Amino acid sequence: MSGSSIANETIDHSKNREPFSFYKFITNKYFLNVVSIVAFLLIWDYVAKEKIFRDSLARPLEVVDQLYMLTYMKFAGTNLAGHIWASTQRVLIGFIAASIVAVPLGLFMALNKYVNAVVKPLFDLFKPMPPIAWVSIAILWFGIGEMSKVFIIIIGTFVPCLLNAYNGVRLVDPDLYDVVRVLGGNRRDEIFHVCFPASFPAVFAGLQISLSSAWTCVLAAELMNSRDGMGFLIKRGMDTHQPTLVLGGMVLIAAAAYGTSLLVTLLEKKLCPWKRTIENL
Amino acid sequence: MDEKQTRNKVEVRNLTKRFGDLTVLDGINFNIKEGELLAIVGPTGCGKTTFLNTLSKLMPTTEGNIYINGEEADPKKHNLAYVFQEPTCLPWRTVRENVAYGMEVKGVGKEEREARATKIMDLVGLTSCADLYPNQVSASMMQRIAVSRAFAVNPDLLLMDEPYGQLDVKLRFYLEDELVNIWRKLNSTVLFVTHNIEEAVYVAERILVLTNKPTKIKAEIPVDLPRPRDLLNPKFIELRKEVTELIRWW
Repeated sequence: MSGSSIANETIDHSKNREPFSFYKFITNKYFLNVVSIVAFLLIWDYVAKEKIFRDSLARPLEVVDQLYMLTYMKFAGTNLAGHIWASTQRVLIGFIAASIVAVPLGLFMALNKYVNAVVKPLFDLFKPMPPIAWVSIAILWFGIGEMSKVFIIIIGTFVPCLLNAYNGVRLVDPDLYDVVRVLGGNRRDEIFHVCFPASFPAVFAGLQISLSSAWTCVLAAELMNSRDGMGFLIKRGMDTHQPTLVLGGMVLIAAAAYGTSLLVTLLEKKLCPWKRTIENL
Repeated sequence: MDEKQTRNKVEVRNLTKRFGDLTVLDGINFNIKEGELLAIVGPTGCGKTTFLNTLSKLMPTTEGNIYINGEEADPKKHNLAYVFQEPTCLPWRTVRENVAYGMEVKGVGKEEREARATKIMDLVGLTSCADLYPNQVSASMMQRIAVSRAFAVNPDLLLMDEPYGQLDVKLRFYLEDELVNIWRKLNSTVLFVTHNIEEAVYVAERILVLTNKPTKIKAEIPVDLPRPRDLLNPKFIELRKEVTELIRWW
């Protein structure tokens, strides 16, 4: 057994070394991951080839071809990168604008009962309303330009940001406040040494939820009315009956959403290094 | 005994706490000498935690007061420290930063903080995990961090609320020895609350036995045994029996 010790705690670094066998190979986790994805693509390809959905399902490679074509051919005056950026830009503007206001407001609500008493009822009133319900009124108010799309995203991201920041503060272990209080710390120490760092993970969880909500909202807004963006690709694909374009847009938007979510995860790792753990401890 | 040892560091006068009609603490009076390790034992549910919360000023008293060096106790003025039943490390600070945290709140200078934290971590064997975060160490380590943080502020009064209640026997003995060791080195004034009679006789210089609610002091037992103490020494066993008889609740 190979073990090392950190502060009297033994950590198991031993690896289970068994000889290579066929059974071991086919039960390998990564092998099964690959099997699962390949099987999915094959079934998709089969269903498309046999025209089970008539001509409305493109084969996987056709979708890849279509996306590749878009990289050098302009579609509606913009190339692929332009469409991706158009949507991403809307998401980022809306998401950042909402979180800059919602996170501090949520923290403030949890810390001050008067702010809470004023904001909470309004918030409870608007909370159950799905953000997509705002699409039409947004277009009436702001027209069909960027503003109405960003507005929808702000509406959709505001609630989870605020809610998580609020709960993050309220769920802080009260014993930790006592630690500060007994040592003679004041309210400021309590807030900056305990409250804020303790609520960070919840805030980041809220940001992640917001981000996925932002992508839903941008898609809804672009489906309604737009001249660029990934939602536009999907809409145009539907209108002109090009399944490759629809599926291509769907794949792109998933990839873009994954990319932004990864950025938030990296930011959290950077800001909350204390969440790291030691394997096998 | 030199003169310093006999001076009263802490005086508790008529400490009373009522929640509505329920009297939890009923006019408790006692003193703690400077550099003394005083243990408090009592039957379960006798309000030990309330007792500590009022002493630490986390909870206002209904009547009576606590005086440190003749002045009314005030966390902002006096160095109070509290080791809670549950480990209470700040998860976002490394072990070293946690140990130094109390000094940070007290406004101790950076160099002094580092020096004292290093010294205490050496004493309790935390040096090897100084740069780890609390979620990377075990529960007993976390309690050690809390104990170190408390001792590091050079407290006028250190309160401990069954700090080792959750640990297994072997670790408990080990940490009790460690506690006695730091306490003697730093000459702190410690009030140690426990429900474990053996633990009380093992660490304390004097034991106060509490009654059931409404809580009063039932007896005071000086523990005049040489250290390191032997659990099988007849005198030790006799004292343990004496305390046990006093708080029998079965």
